[in-house]
Amino acid sequence: MHIPDGYLSTPIWIALDATAIPAVGWLTRRAQQEVDESKIPLLGVMGAFVFAAQMINFPVVPGTSNHLVGGALLAFALGPWAASLVMTAILAIQAFVFQDGGIMALGANTINMALAGVWAAWIPYRRFGASKTGIFLGAFLSVMVSGCLALTQLLLSGVHLPTALVATGTGVFAISALIEGAITVAVLGSIERINPGWVRRPAGGQNRITGVLIFFAIVLVVFGVLIASTAPDGLEKVAEHAGISSQAGTLYKTALADYEFQGLSSLWLRKALAGLAGLAAIYALCLVIGTVIRRRNKPLSTVGQASVCAALQLRSATASKTEQVAR
Amino acid sequence: MHHVIVERWSRTQSVIHSRDARIKLLAALVFLIVVATTPPLEWLCFATYVTVLLIATLTAQLPLLGLLERAALVLPFSLVFGITTWLIGDHARAIGLFEKSYLSAWTALWLAGTTPLPRLLKAAEWFGVPRLLILTIQFLYRYLFVLSEQGQHMRLAAACRAGSRGAARAMWRAAAGALAVLFARSYQRAEGIHRAMQSRGFTGTFPAVALGRFTLADAAFLALAVIPVVAVRFV
Repeated sequence: MHIPDGYLSTPIWIALDATAIPAVGWLTRRAQQEVDESKIPLLGVMGAFVFAAQMINFPVVPGTSNHLVGGALLAFALGPWAASLVMTAILAIQAFVFQDGGIMALGANTINMALAGVWAAWIPYRRFGASKTGIFLGAFLSVMVSGCLALTQLLLSGVHLPTALVATGTGVFAISALIEGAITVAVLGSIERINPGWVRRPAGGQNRITGVLIFFAIVLVVFGVLIASTAPDGLEKVAEHAGISSQAGTLYKTALADYEFQGLSSLWLRKALAGLAGLAAIYALCLVIGTVIRRRNKPLSTVGQASVCAALQLRSATASKTEQVAR
Repeated sequence: MHHVIVERWSRTQSVIHSRDARIKLLAALVFLIVVATTPPLEWLCFATYVTVLLIATLTAQLPLLGLLERAALVLPFSLVFGITTWLIGDHARAIGLFEKSYLSAWTALWLAGTTPLPRLLKAAEWFGVPRLLILTIQFLYRYLFVLSEQGQHMRLAAACRAGSRGAARAMWRAAAGALAVLFARSYQRAEGIHRAMQSRGFTGTFPAVALGRFTLADAAFLALAVIPVVAVRFV
C-alpha cells in the first residue's frame, strides 16, 4: 500500500503533501494535549511493536498480507490522535530508512494510512463499542480505506490500469482487510486477557443509528470513490470502441485512440474529482453530525487514562500472567 | 539485515558524511522535487541526475554496487505497474515510473547512508517538524531492532515448542497470543523506559546532537549538488 515516488502526477502529490503537512501539525498538537509526558516513550515503542509484529505470521491465503498492519490496533490502544502520530512516524522511518514508500509520496501515504486508515478504524469502534463487531469493522475498514485511497490516487494520477486489475487489486485489499479484522479481534482479545487497562474503551455506543449512518458513509466513500474512478475507464473503452468502429482504417487506429484517450482523460479526471468532492462532503457531514451528538452526550476519553498506576501496581502479577500466556 | 548495513554506512567518514545534515536534507529534497517534476523522456536531464548521484555516492565512499542493488528493491513493484502501463500504450509514463522510483530510492538511500538518523531528525526539527513527532520517531527507531529481535526470538521459540505444523485454528490462536505477549512486553518496556528516564532527570528532550554552524564547505556542497540539476531542468 506504500506508494513509491514517481507514481503520482505532480499536481496530486503536491496537493497531498500540502494537505498532509498542516494535518500532521494539527494532529501532533491534539496528540500532545491527550498524551501526558509519561506516555511519550510508549508512542515510539508501540510504533516499534507494529514493526516487530510483522515477524509473526498468521497462516492464511498466500499473496495477501498475512501479518498485522496495525493501524487499527494502534487506534484502539492509544486513541486516534496518538495512533495517527505513531503511524506518521512509522511511515517516515519506512520512507527514509527502508525505501518503503517514496519521500515525495510521504504526504499521500500519510493521508492514506496515518489519517484515513486510523480514523476509519476509530469511528466504527467508537460507535459500535469495544465489541467484536466494532473491532472487526474498524480493522477491516482501516485497511480497506487505505488501500482504496491509494488505488484512487494512482488512477487519478493517470496510471492507467485495466479494469480487471483494479478489480483484482480491490479483491486483494478486501481479503487483506478481512484478515486484518480477524487478526485484530484475536490479538485484542488476548491483550484484554493479559491486562484490560491496555485497550481504550470508547465512550460511545449509545447511539446506534448514527453509528450505522457513519458506517454506511464510510463504505460509500470507499466504494463510491473507487467506482467513480474506475467507471470512466469503462466509459473510455466504449468511446474508444465507437471511435474505432466508425473509422475502420487500421492506420488511423492508434492515433485516434490516443486522441480519444487524451480528450477523455481530462473529462475522466473532472468526473472523478467531482465524485471525490461529493463523497468527501458526505463524510464531513457525518463527522459533523457525530461531533454534535458527542457534544450533547458525554465527553470522550474518560477511560484508559488510569491504566498507568494500575499497570504499575499490577506489574508483578501481570508479568507472571504474561509468562503464563507466553507458555 | 538491510537497515543495519545502511546504519553502518552512515557511521563511516567522508567529505559528504561530515557535511551539515540540514544541507544534505535540503539538497536531497530539492533533488527529489526536480526529479519528480521532470517529464519522463528528457534524457539529458536524467543523465545529469544519474551523474550527480554517482558522484555523490562515490565521494561519500559508499559501496556503489551494494547501494544500487538495495535501491532495486523498488523495481519489482514498478515492474507490475510499468508493464501494464506500457501495454496500455502510455510508454512515456511507463519509463517515468522506472526512472523516478529508482532515482528516488537511490537518493533516499544516499541520504540515509551518509547521515545518521539522530542528525537527520535534528535537521528535520530545525526545519520545523513538531517535537513530539521527532521524539516518537527517535524512540521508534531506537527500539525497532530490540523488539524485532524479540519477535524473531518468539517465533523461533514457538517453532521449537510446537513445530511449524498443526491445525490452522490452533496456529492462528498461537500467533494471536504471541502478538499479545509482544504487545504486553512492549507496553511494560515503555513504562520501564519512562521510569529510567525520569530517574536520570529527563527534561523532555534528548541530549542534543550539536548541529553546529554552516561552513563554506556546506555551501559549496549545496551549490555543487543543486545547481547542475536545477540548471539542466529549467534552463
